[in-house]
Amino acid sequence: MNAIRTTLLLISLTFVLASCNDNDDVIDDFGQEILITDDVDCCSVDEARQVYEFIRKQKEITSLTQDIDDKYRLRVFSPTGSLHTGYNDLYFVVTKIVSANYVKDIEIKSFTPIMSMSSGMEHSTPFSGSIDNFDNGLLAIRHGWVSFVMNTSDNGSWNLDFDIRILKAEEHFSLPIQVDALADGQKWISQFKVGEEAYHISLVNPTDWKVGTNDISAQVTAVAADKKTPYLPADKKFTIDITPSMPDMGYHSAPEGTPLTPDADGLYNGVVNFTMTGLWRLHLTVRDENGIVVAGGDDTDHGFSSLSLEVTL
Amino acid sequence: MLSLLIPILLISEPDTAETHIDINEVVVASSARGGGQKRSAKGVAASIDEHLAELNHVNLIRRGTYAMEPVVNNMQDERVSTTIDGMKIFYACTDKMDPVTSYVESSNLQSITLSSGLDGNPQATGNIGGSIDLRLRKVGFNAIKPIETQALASYETNGSVRMAEADVAISRDRLYTNLGLSFRKADNYKAGGNDEVAFSQFQKYNIFVNVGSRIASSDRVEASLIYDKATDVGYPALNMDVAKAEAVITSLSYKHNFADGFFLTNETKTYYNKIVHIMDDSHRPDVPIRMDMPGKSWTAGLYNLLNGQGERSQLQINYDIYYNYRHADMTMYAADSDWKMYMLTWPDVSTICTGVAASDDITLGNNHSLRVSTKVAWQQQHIGSDDGYQLLNVFFPHMKQTYHQTELRLAARYTLQYNKWKFGIGGGWGSRAPSITEGYGYYLNNTFDNYDYIGNPRLSNEEAFEGNLAVSFTSNRFTLSADANIFRFRHYIIGHVENRLSAMTIGANGVKVYGNIDHATIANAQVSLSARFTDNISWDGNVSYGYGADDDADALPIIAPVQYKTSVKYLRGGFSASVEISGASKQTRVATKYAETGSEAYLIAGANASYSHQFGNVGTILRLGIENAFDRNYSTYSDWNHLPQKGRNVYVSCSINI
Repeated sequence: MNAIRTTLLLISLTFVLASCNDNDDVIDDFGQEILITDDVDCCSVDEARQVYEFIRKQKEITSLTQDIDDKYRLRVFSPTGSLHTGYNDLYFVVTKIVSANYVKDIEIKSFTPIMSMSSGMEHSTPFSGSIDNFDNGLLAIRHGWVSFVMNTSDNGSWNLDFDIRILKAEEHFSLPIQVDALADGQKWISQFKVGEEAYHISLVNPTDWKVGTNDISAQVTAVAADKKTPYLPADKKFTIDITPSMPDMGYHSAPEGTPLTPDADGLYNGVVNFTMTGLWRLHLTVRDENGIVVAGGDDTDHGFSSLSLEVTL
Repeated sequence: MLSLLIPILLISEPDTAETHIDINEVVVASSARGGGQKRSAKGVAASIDEHLAELNHVNLIRRGTYAMEPVVNNMQDERVSTTIDGMKIFYACTDKMDPVTSYVESSNLQSITLSSGLDGNPQATGNIGGSIDLRLRKVGFNAIKPIETQALASYETNGSVRMAEADVAISRDRLYTNLGLSFRKADNYKAGGNDEVAFSQFQKYNIFVNVGSRIASSDRVEASLIYDKATDVGYPALNMDVAKAEAVITSLSYKHNFADGFFLTNETKTYYNKIVHIMDDSHRPDVPIRMDMPGKSWTAGLYNLLNGQGERSQLQINYDIYYNYRHADMTMYAADSDWKMYMLTWPDVSTICTGVAASDDITLGNNHSLRVSTKVAWQQQHIGSDDGYQLLNVFFPHMKQTYHQTELRLAARYTLQYNKWKFGIGGGWGSRAPSITEGYGYYLNNTFDNYDYIGNPRLSNEEAFEGNLAVSFTSNRFTLSADANIFRFRHYIIGHVENRLSAMTIGANGVKVYGNIDHATIANAQVSLSARFTDNISWDGNVSYGYGADDDADALPIIAPVQYKTSVKYLRGGFSASVEISGASKQTRVATKYAETGSEAYLIAGANASYSHQFGNVGTILRLGIENAFDRNYSTYSDWNHLPQKGRNVYVSCSINI
């Protein structure tokens, strides 16, 4: 008697989605009803709506979808629905199969991407360090990021290991994953060395960049002593100068922005300017906390630093 | 303005039969002191540029044989207003390859009127240097011949320039129409010494229609249409050519003649014109990067002109408003990859400008008069493209997307007639808003100094004081006239080197950003003499000089050195012949600071003859001439990057008029 059954029909939202997204798979995924009950494990109407509104702007990595005990379904989303070299945002949700509603109490641990090279060598790649709640309004979503140093190819393949706890159920997954190469003219991750220590800089979502002035972000991670453990955000703080140039335009450079510096969460923020569309090389000069150049900053690439990234607008 | 032109048309022709034929030709008139009426020796076969070259105070910047940029009082188009029958029209090329004078044909025009300095025609705004109005040809009601047709063909040996033109004018009591079609085609020309100048070809055709209808005894409606299309135009002084430059120019006007009272006429005209300009370097063999640079400009507007005439007054009051939209972009194709790069160079700038102008010619007494003219205009400029706005924001953080400017001009001239002498003294003050390129242009390469230019939305209006003096003496057989003017600028707009920025164009020297300099000075002087030795033989001579200085007293670029021209003319019946010598001194004030390299002295000679004859109803004119007779290889100070002028050229044309 006290079970108040509310059916949240998302049909209308599906139509909105259908009109702006030509990926039919995604529409089918969301075509189902989410059943809202008084199940305390799951979301309320408002919460479910917020989660749905958020994840429908992402795309599901269907190869990672897993059912657990025929009770729960793990779904992983990224902005593109696939994984590629460089920085990838990952969003994890778990639904109860019976209601399609989102479970709030989940935990993802021991997240370890591993590249097994054909040479026999194995190594991990930069990772946010945790997969966590990231927004108080979105209690059912967990977010983390992984930045792949290379793509899947004949030279090696990627595997993803992680543990998941859903309410009281626990499960371990070891899933092969496909990491696509970026298109030519895109190089979103680069390695540099400070003394004997190796670091990676990964651009955060450069697909959002456009001509004009851009607020940009990057993650700087340190290669772990054991290369088979994920490379976590570096403890050392750097200041990274960026000079954009266009190799196809005689190394025309755009007006200087502001260098990348880390905020309290360790995310590097800066400003970069682009004067036109096309291929831009971002030449990097890495300084330590005393302003001393510790990586890049040479002039061997047509007068610019040879430590660089590339984006194509 | 019309009242000014009709006497010129009549005065300029000694013989009524000839008037009748020549009335269809372009007359270039200068309303400035010491101006007077001129026509090109080539008649209708002459290009607009050749007609403009006849005017005092006017020089032409030449980037090829087609579409030269008129310079008035040593000021380029930013400081000069160009209108077609009072209609505003703006070019669509960021490299100034299409001054609006290139979108009309000689056969479209009745006259070209130049007003020197701040005293512009009523529709002109921002005309510090002067204003040019291209008056369209209208046969009017009740012409002497109800139907008149004309056909013309001409050929020039150098570059084998072929031109053909045909038009018909029908004039009835309640209806008139002019219809015309013309075509020009030129191959590469040869500079002196038989040096072929590659990429100097062009081709263009033009269709012209106007119709007038008397809808009541003192009311008329007029409509006009020009369609002008140039294709395959080479610009040998630049790295780019034009695949297509196309204009549609239309107008509809209503004119009321007042039966009595102070006011004579009231004309309301609405107009629309659109220019599409397709520029690319696809035909050039060696370019560091291929690029397409299309541009687009359209303008719609309205003016209302009220003419009044009293015993001592000739009053004009004009209200006008126009909207102009301009877009230009650039797509570059990387040499060794598939990358395309896109840059917005004119960020969809729309301008709404509205103004009120008034002028009065006041007769103070039998021998002296005063002319005053003024205009105040207000405009709003908006960057329509958000991307373009973001791009400029890189250089001008916190800039606005919309700007407002007020432009003002005020000019007065006093004229005193004393026996055979006439003296004039005038002055004025005016301001102009920055041009689209100066305000919002984005990495526009200027091949003159090889810098990329970035517009500056925060520019102040440029202001100038003008002073001018003129004196003339006229007797039966002798005329002398001299005039001089000086423009003292405040906030003169010019590019400044910005070392912090890197050039976009491969091989460019760097980047300049437009800025205001505290002051600058431009001055011009000229003396003309003409003498009639006998009834048949006359002599003309003209010498002019320009001076320009920036705020460091260094020379400004593209300012004329001493230029001179002299000719002897023989005229008898329908036959006329003349021999002309013209030249310039070596440029002594060279603007090295602005990358000018200076031009050498030259002297060239030419001759021409024409014969007109009337066979009953059929009039014919035959013209023959030679230019640069001694095949000198030379370039003038205004030849872009020392582009050599045409070598020896012989032309012949024949026109028939029924």
